[in-house]
Formats: sequence, C-alpha cells, structure tokens
Amino acid sequence: MTHDESSDSIEPDGGAISSPFEVVSEYEETRSERYRKLYDAYVYAPLSIILRDWRARIGLTIVLGFLALGIIGPLVVEPTRVTEGPALVGPFENWEYVLGTDAQGRDLFAQVVHSTDTILKMVTSGALFTVIIGTTIGSIAGYKSDTPIDTALSSITDVFINLPGFPLVMVLGLLLEDHILGNPYAVGVLLSIAAWGGLARAIRSQMLTLRQESFVEASQAMGLSTPTIVFKEILPHLMPYVVINLTSAGRRVIFEAVALYYLGILPFEKLNWGTMLQLAYQARAHARPGALHWFLVPMVAIVLISIGLTLLGQSLDRVFNPRVRARHEKTTADIDESGETDEEPTNEPMGGI
Amino acid sequence: MTVSESDHQRRPAHHDPILQIRNTSVTFDMDRGESRVLDDVELDIQRNEILGIVGESGSGKSMLASALLDAVVDPGVAYGDITYRPTDGEPVDVLDLDKQGLKELRWETISMVFQGAMSSFNPVRKIRTHFVETLDAHDYDIDEGMERAEGILEDLYLEPDRVLDSYPHELSGGMKQRALIALSLVLEPEVLVMDEPTAALDLLMQRSIISLIREIKAEYDLTIVFITHDLPLVADIADRIGVLYAFEFVELGPTDEILEDAAHPYTRLLLKSTPNLEAPIETMQPVEGSAPDPVNVPSGCSFHPRCPLADDQCRHEDPRAYEVNANHPVHCHHWSTAREEISMTDDYDVSSVLQSTAVDTRAQSEEIDPVVSLEDVEVHFETEQSFFDMFSDSDVVEAVNGVSVDIYEKDVVVLVGESGCGKTTLGKTAVGLQEPTGGSVQFRGHDIWDVQTGTDTGIEWGEIRRSLQIVHQDPGSALNPHRRVKTSLEAPLKRWNKDLDGNDRTQRVLSLLEHVGMTPPNDYIERYPHQLSGGEQQRVALIRAMLMNPDLIMADEPVSALDVSLRVEMMDLMIQLQDTFDTSYLFVSHDLSNARYIAEKTGGRIGVVYLGQLVEIGTPEQIIHNPQHPYTKALCWATPELGVEKNTEEAPIRTIDIPDPTDPPSGCRYHTRCPNAREICRTQSPESFDVPDETAHDAACFRVDDDHDYWTSKSITRAEETVFDD
Repeated sequence: MTHDESSDSIEPDGGAISSPFEVVSEYEETRSERYRKLYDAYVYAPLSIILRDWRARIGLTIVLGFLALGIIGPLVVEPTRVTEGPALVGPFENWEYVLGTDAQGRDLFAQVVHSTDTILKMVTSGALFTVIIGTTIGSIAGYKSDTPIDTALSSITDVFINLPGFPLVMVLGLLLEDHILGNPYAVGVLLSIAAWGGLARAIRSQMLTLRQESFVEASQAMGLSTPTIVFKEILPHLMPYVVINLTSAGRRVIFEAVALYYLGILPFEKLNWGTMLQLAYQARAHARPGALHWFLVPMVAIVLISIGLTLLGQSLDRVFNPRVRARHEKTTADIDESGETDEEPTNEPMGGI
Repeated sequence: MTVSESDHQRRPAHHDPILQIRNTSVTFDMDRGESRVLDDVELDIQRNEILGIVGESGSGKSMLASALLDAVVDPGVAYGDITYRPTDGEPVDVLDLDKQGLKELRWETISMVFQGAMSSFNPVRKIRTHFVETLDAHDYDIDEGMERAEGILEDLYLEPDRVLDSYPHELSGGMKQRALIALSLVLEPEVLVMDEPTAALDLLMQRSIISLIREIKAEYDLTIVFITHDLPLVADIADRIGVLYAFEFVELGPTDEILEDAAHPYTRLLLKSTPNLEAPIETMQPVEGSAPDPVNVPSGCSFHPRCPLADDQCRHEDPRAYEVNANHPVHCHHWSTAREEISMTDDYDVSSVLQSTAVDTRAQSEEIDPVVSLEDVEVHFETEQSFFDMFSDSDVVEAVNGVSVDIYEKDVVVLVGESGCGKTTLGKTAVGLQEPTGGSVQFRGHDIWDVQTGTDTGIEWGEIRRSLQIVHQDPGSALNPHRRVKTSLEAPLKRWNKDLDGNDRTQRVLSLLEHVGMTPPNDYIERYPHQLSGGEQQRVALIRAMLMNPDLIMADEPVSALDVSLRVEMMDLMIQLQDTFDTSYLFVSHDLSNARYIAEKTGGRIGVVYLGQLVEIGTPEQIIHNPQHPYTKALCWATPELGVEKNTEEAPIRTIDIPDPTDPPSGCRYHTRCPNAREICRTQSPESFDVPDETAHDAACFRVDDDHDYWTSKSITRAEETVFDD
C-alpha cells in the first residue's frame, strides 16, 4: 500500500519518528527562490494572462498611456498661458499646437496633459474609497449576518443607498470649498461619498452564500480570526466583481467630476477637462464650426480613458481565477493538465451578478 | 460468497439485440490533444434484459448513455454504429438520424432517467406541466397521455393527483425520482437508460426504487440499461453486468458469473475493494493507483499500470475480447490465470499491522474520562415565519433530540442514518461548530459553550477549538480553491505554532504530504486544489485537520465523494493517521458497509441515528449480526450485498418515506415505519436499554426489555399498511 511505503521512507535509519510533528527542518528556501515565486505569482502570471486577451491589451495600453501622460507629461510639456499662440488654431494644423488652441490662444494639448494628473488623482482616491468602504462593510455584514453588527452595517448601507447622491455632492462641494480646492484626492472622495452602498449590498449577498462553504467552516474550526477568514479566505472569491467595480467607480468619478466642473459647482484652480468644456460652452464653441475641436478634445480624452478602464476591468477578472492563474504560472503550469481554455466562466459565485 | 437463485428468474442470454453498438467512440477535441471518452465499444443490448453498466467516475459510462440517444454534448463527437432494431421494421442507425428522426427516437423509443432528480424538474412549474409539455413536444394526444401517466404513477406507488399538482420542491427526493421515472415512461419507450438514478437517495429509498425497476420492467415490457458506480447495487437486478474501465468494456457477462467468478483482474479487484457487511474486512483491499486520463490512456491494456498480473504483453498489446464462454467476453490476456492469481478470499497479509494495535474494544475504557461527552443534547432549528403567521407557533425542526454519547481517547464512533436524520448536525455539535439548544457538550469535563462565553475559565477556548476538528464530505469545497496546498496547510501552523519559521512550516507540510503518499511532495505543495484528484484533495483536507494535532476529528462522510476503488484506501489511511496522531474519530456515514469497515478495523462503535435520536449503539459485530432496534434491522436489510441471495425476505419496514421532521411522530419516532409497533409505541418514547448479555450495546426499543408493558400492548401494524415493494 502506498502510504505504508511512504511512512517508512520518512523514518531515518536510527530511531523511528513517532510523529511527523518531530520532523526537523531540512528544507531551506533561498531568498532568490522566494523572490522568483513572488515574481511568478504577482507579476509574471497576471501579465501573461492579461496579455493573452485583446481587450486587456487595448485597455492596458490606454490606461498606461494616460498614466504616462499624467506623470511624465507635466514634466515635459510646459503649462500653457493666455495668448501663447493664435486663437482657435484647428487640430493637426500647426505642430506647435497639435490639438489646436482655444479662443484665448491656449494650447489644448498642454491643457489636456496638465489636467490628466488631477483627474487620475481623483479617480484613484474615489475608486479606492468606494471599493474599500463598500467591500469592507459588505463583507463583514454578510459574514456576520443575523447579528447586531450586520443590522447596524446594513442600516448604514441602506441610508447611503437612499441618499440622493448627486445633489448631496453638490451641496457638500459648496460647503467644503476650502478643503477641496487644489486637493484632487479630496474631490475624489467627496464624489464617492454616496457611491459605495450598492457595492456593499451586492458583496453582502455574495458573502451570505460563500460563508456556507465547507472551507469557511474548516477555517472556523481551525480557530482563524474573523478578519483572516473574511479577507484572506473568502474575499479572493469576490475579487473579479470587486475589480470590475473598481474600474467602473473610476469611470463614474470622471463623469461626475467633469459634470460638476462643467456646471461650475466645484471650485477649481487649474484647468481640467470639465472646465475646458465649460469654457468652450460659454464661448459658444458648439455653435461655431471653427471652435468645435475645443469641445472635442476633452470629450475624446474622457471617452478614451473610460473605454480603457472598462476593457481593463472586464479582463482583469480572469487574473483572479485560480484555474487560469495556475496555467500561466511557471511554478504550477507543468502539472496543470486540465484542458479548458481561458474563456471558461470565472468562478461560480459570480454568476448571480 | 454464496450463490443461490434469486426470486426472479435471471434471463438466459438469447440473441435478439434491441440495440447493437459497434466500434463506437466519443471524442472531445481539447487544447492538449484529442480526448477519447469512449473507446471503440462493442455491445449488444438484448431485448427485455436489465443490463447493469458499472464503472468508476470518469470511466465513460455517462458518455455511453448519451451516445445511445445520440445526445453527446458539443464539442464531443460520437461515431461508429449504434443500430436500433425494432420488433417490426428496418433497423435504424441512431447516429445517422436527422432531426425529426432523433426526436422520434429520443423519449419515444429510448428514454433516459438522469442522475439527480432535483435538477431535472423545473422548480417553478408543476409536475403536471412537465408531463403535458413532454407529450405536447412529441405530438402525442395529451388526454390519453395523461391518463397513461396517472397509471404509471400509480404503479410507482404515488398518488397521481397529489403528485401531478405539486411543485418539485414539495416532493421528497424519492418521490421526485419516481416521478421522473414515470415521466420517462409516458411516451411508452422500449429502452430505458438510467444514469445513476439512485445516487442521490437514501439507502432505504434506493432499495425500494431498485425493486420498483424490476416491477416496471415486467409491466411495461422494457429493456433497461442501468448505469452506476456501485457494483452491489445492480447485483440484485441486472441480468448481465458490463464493467467499464478507461472508456472501454473490460468484461461483460451474466451477473452471477461476474460476481462469483469474474475473469478480469479489474473486476476482481473492484469486487474486493467494495466494503460490504458480510465479507471479512481483511479481504477488502484497495485497488492501487488511479484511473487514467482520457487524453493519455496507457498503451496496450489500459489497466496494466494498476494490474498485479501485468507483463510485457499487457504493456504493448491491447487485449482483444477473449471468450470465457459464449456470453462472457473479457479483455485480458491473462484471464485464465487471473482467477487463481487474484483470490477473492484469502489475503491476510498486509494490513494485520494496522488493525492489531487498535482492536482492544472500548469495554475497559468506561473508567477513563471521555474526551468529548454529549449529554442529552438537543439542537432545534426554528423555521422562518411569515408576517401573517405571527399568532401561531413557528415550526421547529428537531434536528437532534436528546442524544447522549461519550467519545474516549483513540475512540471511533460511526454515526449511521438516512439523510436528514440529524447525524451531521449531531457531529458538528460534538466538535463545537453548532451550538446546542439544550443539554451540554463537554470537552474533558468542561462545557465548551460555557468556556466560549467565559463562564467556565478552567480551560481556554482556543485549546478546545484546536482539539476539535472537522473533515468535510466534499473535498472540492473543503479546500479554498484560491489557495495553494501550501497556503491552506500552513494556515493552522501559523495560527497555533507561532514559533515555527517559514522553512520549518514548509518542512512539516512536506513531510506530512509524503506521509500520506503524495510524492514527490515538492510537486504538490505549490498546486491549487483543482490540480489535485478527489482523493488527493481529501488527503490534504485530512492533513490540514491533523496539523492542528486535534483530540477529536469529526469526519462527515469522508469517502462518499470518492470512487469506490479509492474508498478502502482512504479509510485505511485515516485509520493509520489515527495511530500516528492519537486522535479520536467521529465518523458520519449513510453507508453501513463503510461504517462497519471503519469501526471493525479500529475496534470502534456504530451509532444508528433516526430522526435526531440515537436509537442503537454498539460494536459493529453487535449492530450487524445482532441488531436490536427494528430500524437498524431495516438498514442492514437495505445495504446492498454482493451476493445474490437475501432479497427474498420481506422488507422490515412499513413505509419508505421519513416522517416530516417538523412534526415528528409521538412516542417512539419510529413507530410509523416499524413492523413491530404496538399501541404503547405511539404514546411512550423508549429509553435506551442495555442489551442483555452484551457490553457496550444499547438500543432505544421496548423490545430489548423482556418484561416491558410493550409485550402486552396491542399491535398497530395492519396488513394494508405494508410497504409497496417486494
């Protein structure tokens, strides 16, 4: 019998080892080995999964492009000023002003570049805020369902779901003018203040089914702490959903920010996509064919980053599927003999959403 | 094993095949190559026979069923010849039929009963709708068809009106399965293909459906193909048995010959590895190795890597069909010697070491303090009420009711019972995962729920939590699919052995993996659960529990999700680990033969649970050979045996269906089904009586006590109340 042989084989020829607990460590993992495994699991595998999918390749390119624009752009491109060039130069007419200029002769490309970092900061803080609050509250409420903790957290969630989000943001924007002026992170959080409720609700309901799984019970039997069970054992199952929400929360922040700046409700110091649209509107650019590009440039930027985030979010869910991961990791790929393709649906509990 | 002629005449093999299968293969195109899930199968299905097809999971048996209806799912392709020969008219090639032809063939000529009746019915439609739609889709006259349906339902001992007007969830599993059989018969097919029709059912229900199948076969003049992984199950009803291994038939012959004198090594090993109630446990040996991968079937004889008789010829030459006799082909080069080489009875060599250590019975342990002691434990669940029921009492499901049992050091207790009898809830209560609503659960003298709330500070809650562990039924969901073997196994060490560093932890995990035969362990440690086979997953789950160094492990049907040939091996491993780690086990099982195997090998006890009560407890010897409680007798009766006799006895039970647990019968809960029930059983609930002249054997039945009022009470069993079968 197989196990008889194996039990013999771990016994050294001297005294018999009565319990496997007394085994002395002879296994040594070198530092480079550990780094190799970390690299494999967190860099190599996700990248090779992402790069197999055209949606992800496009999405990743767009998002990385905007990141470069926001980080490197301001160092390379000088900020524009009034009467820098002639008024209303059309796009691609003059190489000095690639995207043209506005009615006051300001370079539109420089405007786009210098507002990208602001927008990216808002997106990051807003999306992270939504997802972290929503996921934390939702998963704890779901795991602790039918307890006072759940009742409290769910009631708070319900309040935020039912708040009229946009008007609230408008009022808060006016009240907190001093705090948000020149602080894009604060704007991002402000815009997301009422946005996490729906996510918390959805996560909670997923949690209700996942906590019935045997592996959760086994973890409870092992005496693992609640945070460990919730965030390390269960949450990875919800990651595809969380990631999609992360990117769509980012998109929502952009749209809301642009809308509020366009309406002139949020205070601003620097030009950004929303204020560009507002200035164009005030200059009646929509009625003047020669000034149409003033509208189009910020619009294209908004649409492009939105598409990029959507595509990236859609394809990232596969990164969290252990079956797909295992096929792409060098450590485990050779033993993986299952023949499914990458296109199989991600994990089951996600089917409902 | 003894042979005797059974009550029904086993049909002599005659030559009038209704379905002829020739060179039929099913292949799937996969990334890593073509996967052959049915390999060049030849088979004649005779008119009016019951053909049992037996194979482990992944042996291609369900594919064979799909191929018979030309219903192989995309992207699978079936080719070869499957010829249907009607009594009058031209033979038809099933695989060549067009859409209209297929529609006429499926259900009208060959129909199928699927595994898992739960999902075969649409939960939002009444049963009647399913019948009407089936008739309508095949352009049958609906009134006439429904009349026929009612007749069939009646033949299956169901009340037609009640069943037809029910939604699926309102019927029990067994009723649903019977309704599904009726649905498959409503178009008057000639061939009925049943794919594991009883896999999801309880022993008693399984048993009665099996006997029903025999009846409907005679009544409706059917040919039945019965597909299962459970060899003993078909032993009773099949005229012939075909054994599938690695996508082809290895042996096909009359039932008696297969059971008594199988010629293929695989069949012989499979028979030996199947736990049952009669054979001495020493003869039960696991089949080593595991079934091959469909893409990579071994060359030559596909069984050679696991076969003790394999030689060079087997490795290179695919065995053709040798004839044992005219009706019994076998695909093995060594069939003539296999019968002597692999003996079915005497194999007392290897495992004697394993058992000798543990076979001191629990008799003397009475003086020692128990590890876990349950006293009069009750677990009641309240069902949800709707708003308008606010004035009535809510329904209470009494999952566990007044159970007392002690578990000692290195003890083994196996709980046996039908599903829904509360055995799992009882097990979880014993390991502190379910809080009892009454009574107490004590760990080494401390009430564990007092410790948890802080009223008893004699022992740490963490200490209790570490000492009581659980191994789940389905290894697939017991391991977190997102975590590698290493991460899963290190979790308990990180939590409880904080002084270990990463390398020590890994070393410990590696040595344990090797200990349970997962070699090389370095290979396994980085895998995700889906990269392990079911048996390997279960081993990892088992090690994870063992790494806590627990005092008691509650194992919830630990082998029922595994293939038959792996079960004995898994149970042996668990017994061996018990020796290494000095733990006690509380097994939960619905299968008396597995329970007997474990308990007999470890010197443990079997406890029989019925509707939340422990009705009998004793050593396996006592439970199987001298059952006191009528329910235990019924369970022994229902456990399928490999022999051919035994079924002539009448069923020792009056009704098959378990009473509603929200409204359990008064008095003795078993009185509604008990063949020996008397007036007194209705009103008084029996205590647990010591069985006279036997140690450690208790049963909760008045009949144990020789001068109880019971014997003067009036019988309440009436002739018309007897069960429908046999």
